[in-house]
Amino acid sequence: MSSADVEDFIQQNRGEAERVETFRGYWESWKHWEARREFILRNMSDFENGQMDHLLSLSMVWANNVFLGCRYSSDLLEKVKAMAEGIAVEDAPVFKTRDEIIKNQQGR
Amino acid sequence: MGVPAFFRWLSRKYPSIIVHCVEEKGRECNGVRIPVDTTKPNPNEVEFDNLYLDMNGIIHPCTHPEDKPAPKNEDEMMVAIFEYIDRLFNIVRPRRVLYMAIDGVAPRAKMNQQRSRRFRASKEGVELTDEKHRIREEIIQRGGYLPPEEIKERFDSNCITPGTEFMDNLAHCLRYYVAERLSNDPGWKNVVVFLSDASVPGEGEHKIMDFIRRQRAQPNHDPNTHHCLCGADADLIMLGLATHEPNFTIIREEFKPNKPRPCSLCGQTGHEMKDCQGVAREKQGQHDEFADTMPVSEQEFIFIRLCVLREYLERELTMASLPFAFDFERSVDDWVFMCFFVGNDFLPHLPSLEIREGAIDRLVNIYKDVVHKTGGYLTQNGYVNLERVEMIMQAVGVAEDNIFKKRKEDEENFRRRNKEKRKRMKAEQQGPSYLTTGQFAPQALGRRDVPEPIQNPRYQAYDMRMNPREQNNKNAAQSLKAMMRNEGGTSSGSSESQDRRAPKRKAEDSDSDPEPEDNVRLWEEGWKQRYYKNKFDVDVTDSDFRKKVVQSYVEGLCWVLRYYYQGCASWKWYFPFHYAPFASDFKDIKGMFTEFEKDTKPFKPLEQLMSVFPAASGNFLPTTWRDLMVSPESSIIDFYPDDFAIDLNGKKYAWQGVALLPFVDERRLRAALAEVYPDLTPEEVRRNSLGSDVLFVGKSHLLFDFIHELYREECNKGTAVPPELCFGIQGLLNLDESPVLPDKPVKSPIPTLRDISQSTAVSIKFKDPEYADGHVFKAVLLSGAKIPTKVLKPGDWERGNRGQWRPQLGFNPNRQQAHLDQSGFRALGHSLNRNQHSGGQYSNTPPPGNYHQGSYRPQHSGGHRGFQHSRPNPQLGASQPFQQPQFPRQQQYGGGGDGDGGGGHGWNRVVQSQPLAYQQNRDHGGPRQDGYQQQYEYRRDDWQDRRGDRRGNRGQQGYGSSRSYPPPPPSRRYNWN
Repeated sequence: MSSADVEDFIQQNRGEAERVETFRGYWESWKHWEARREFILRNMSDFENGQMDHLLSLSMVWANNVFLGCRYSSDLLEKVKAMAEGIAVEDAPVFKTRDEIIKNQQGR
Repeated sequence: MGVPAFFRWLSRKYPSIIVHCVEEKGRECNGVRIPVDTTKPNPNEVEFDNLYLDMNGIIHPCTHPEDKPAPKNEDEMMVAIFEYIDRLFNIVRPRRVLYMAIDGVAPRAKMNQQRSRRFRASKEGVELTDEKHRIREEIIQRGGYLPPEEIKERFDSNCITPGTEFMDNLAHCLRYYVAERLSNDPGWKNVVVFLSDASVPGEGEHKIMDFIRRQRAQPNHDPNTHHCLCGADADLIMLGLATHEPNFTIIREEFKPNKPRPCSLCGQTGHEMKDCQGVAREKQGQHDEFADTMPVSEQEFIFIRLCVLREYLERELTMASLPFAFDFERSVDDWVFMCFFVGNDFLPHLPSLEIREGAIDRLVNIYKDVVHKTGGYLTQNGYVNLERVEMIMQAVGVAEDNIFKKRKEDEENFRRRNKEKRKRMKAEQQGPSYLTTGQFAPQALGRRDVPEPIQNPRYQAYDMRMNPREQNNKNAAQSLKAMMRNEGGTSSGSSESQDRRAPKRKAEDSDSDPEPEDNVRLWEEGWKQRYYKNKFDVDVTDSDFRKKVVQSYVEGLCWVLRYYYQGCASWKWYFPFHYAPFASDFKDIKGMFTEFEKDTKPFKPLEQLMSVFPAASGNFLPTTWRDLMVSPESSIIDFYPDDFAIDLNGKKYAWQGVALLPFVDERRLRAALAEVYPDLTPEEVRRNSLGSDVLFVGKSHLLFDFIHELYREECNKGTAVPPELCFGIQGLLNLDESPVLPDKPVKSPIPTLRDISQSTAVSIKFKDPEYADGHVFKAVLLSGAKIPTKVLKPGDWERGNRGQWRPQLGFNPNRQQAHLDQSGFRALGHSLNRNQHSGGQYSNTPPPGNYHQGSYRPQHSGGHRGFQHSRPNPQLGASQPFQQPQFPRQQQYGGGGDGDGGGGHGWNRVVQSQPLAYQQNRDHGGPRQDGYQQQYEYRRDDWQDRRGDRRGNRGQQGYGSSRSYPPPPPSRRYNWN
């Protein structure tokens, strides 16, 4: 599913698209939300209705990793990266995690 | 408020708000401890009615202290907490109310901060343990000595969060403690005790504020109640001001910078853990442990008098020729509001406002400028007038550019100065690279032995030429020997340690404070764009997003102020960003906020644990709940990252930076928890439920029989407290399911403490008075409130020709000053001057280490620095200060400084050799003083340093050799009353 497909999907499934729109976090900029929305739409078919929260959680794991610099267990990260394969994020921010900073400061 | 700098700033700007506590200590007699009788008048010369304890400020230092070894187990922690409360009770001696508030579930707005603290604490704890272990191993391998590691579990300070077993246990222990004291301590017998434990929602200090607010809004409240609130947070000062109670005092531990901390490995002071060498302490003489320690090891307390702060603020904020009537109380509220811009627990501070850069002064100036245009105050009763706030913000916004530029400049200057200083220090340490020796060796000036004439200079010069080389050779030989020894392997430890140190020192030298990476560069053109790009990952042109941030911030300001003046407006609201906008972004904010969602409910304790704990602290939660924090299948796994980014944001250390943690989605959290709620045990269900405040009284209290009667009648509905029985306090009483009852035993939850076989206390549930929805608590002085007497020197004092001003140092304006009579001075002089009969001018030099650097001046100039003890004599008219004899002192020359040290040796020596040398300062009682110096180290009397006068005294005042005590003074000066 490319971003053009996402547009198509939204055109065709108005109701579904509106529902997904409610999952946007207040703090999410358009750039962040656009990417995460794509993540959700791409993978929605693999999750039953009752599992929606799980999908949302995975989408947040991915978004937090990309946009906020959070680290999760490697299994989990691999999984969400696989699910996000092909989502283009331009100019993603770069972060230093706490562990890295501490390591740096100890190295000195 | 997470602004440690705020208190420092405040106490420097307004020094008179601080009064040191007088603490009476318990004595010991034949091995029996005699507790202090707290029924006696307060030694601080003031009587407090109510003492409020923000317990979290007590629990943290008692469970994981920084300046002493940690308690071994939970029981010891509890005992430490009890002792701490005892101490405070002894200092403050409340006569009516003791209110203990432990943090309960906090509003959502606080949760971001709690989350970031706990995620960090958890990581820091693990790191510390690892580091300790690593260094320990290293030292032991090197053959160093370390005291055996005590077997104890690492105390996870995260357990100090409502809902954990620890907090539950603490509440239990405190009930026992209160019952014990009410039954046995006479000082407690007429005090009503309130305990608001972690099961009651709300932050500790805000529960206290709610209590005060709700009491003072009812007609029976005594408007002159003297409140004393204990806690170190700077926001307590704001809260205290917000009550508008005239008698409000805060008590906190005195902050002593650079207090030596014992190394956590070997327990010795003087080095940090990472430099620990594992060397057993060397004894340098009997009692050497006292040599370098401060005489007072125990943390001392200070009072912060808010009524004095109000005096200062009145001076600062009073504005003439306003278009509306000036109301000081309202301007205080505005001041409190502006302090929130600089920092609070609920919002990140504006990038342009740093307290260290005088942000509050800047705001006050802007406020006074703008208030003429705004036509009124910024706030009323905790409600914000946004239109006027916008004007303030815009004025700050105009200066923003310059603030950032100046900040950069200051930083660079600071860095440059530091570098130069380091360089200078290094140069000083090294000394000259070449020194002449022998006859040519440098001689100190002014010594008695004059250098001999030079003999045989050529030979000496030759010697000096050759010697250094010889020295080098010696060094080389020595180091070779040492190397060979080490290869033998016997003492490899020491050489290794040297090797280890060598590169480190090098690193320190080259360490010129690497600048923290800063991509925003606020001082350069385009800062706004870079800020939004770097911090929010949005383009500056995205004005919708920017507006969102500003709107949230505006809501935040409204929420925080309301929280301080009216109580929690919404348990749900929070600031959903990690950074603040710029002041210049606050445009058209008038319509940005209308009202908060009504009837929001706080989280349940276990729910809150789920939203503030990292997975590493999951052990405080039931198993299935914990699984939600770790299982990849969990529908809230995104709340619990293993590691997270920290934006240093221009700071140097990780703990100063912004932790970029994801926000908790409340809906998803509740949905996930709904599935595991059935797994709770009955015990956990109890811990998860909302509790109630509990009221305790002892047998002799008026309310005692009333409550006892309620239990006997098994009265099941809420009963109002009869205000006449309880100092005008109102509220609703409900029977407790497991109360403390009179003549029933109370089991001690702590093995080392005794059970109370017959408690004489009674406890009952208490509820603050209720007010109708939409009730607005008025932020005004109550009628009948008496403003305490002024402490500050009136600005027009001199003009009033009222003579000398005497600063007030305690609570009591008419404090009796301590003084010595003649025989006292004789005795003092005798003991001070003993052992100083003979010897050269250096023989009086005190032993090194006795004095703090800088303030010490050698005896020959300082021995006769007279300190006068003077006070205005009311009967003679204040312009005739009464003089006590001067006496030579060896210590305490506050400023040191005027250069009269060189002269007058002969004169000095004459007097010096006389053990009983007094000077009578006769004719210099005039008003020529060069200022006050408050010498806290001694009695807190006001010593006046009159160097100028003394210089004049010299010739005439040598009553040394001929008489051993001062001449009878002219009687008019010794009028003691």
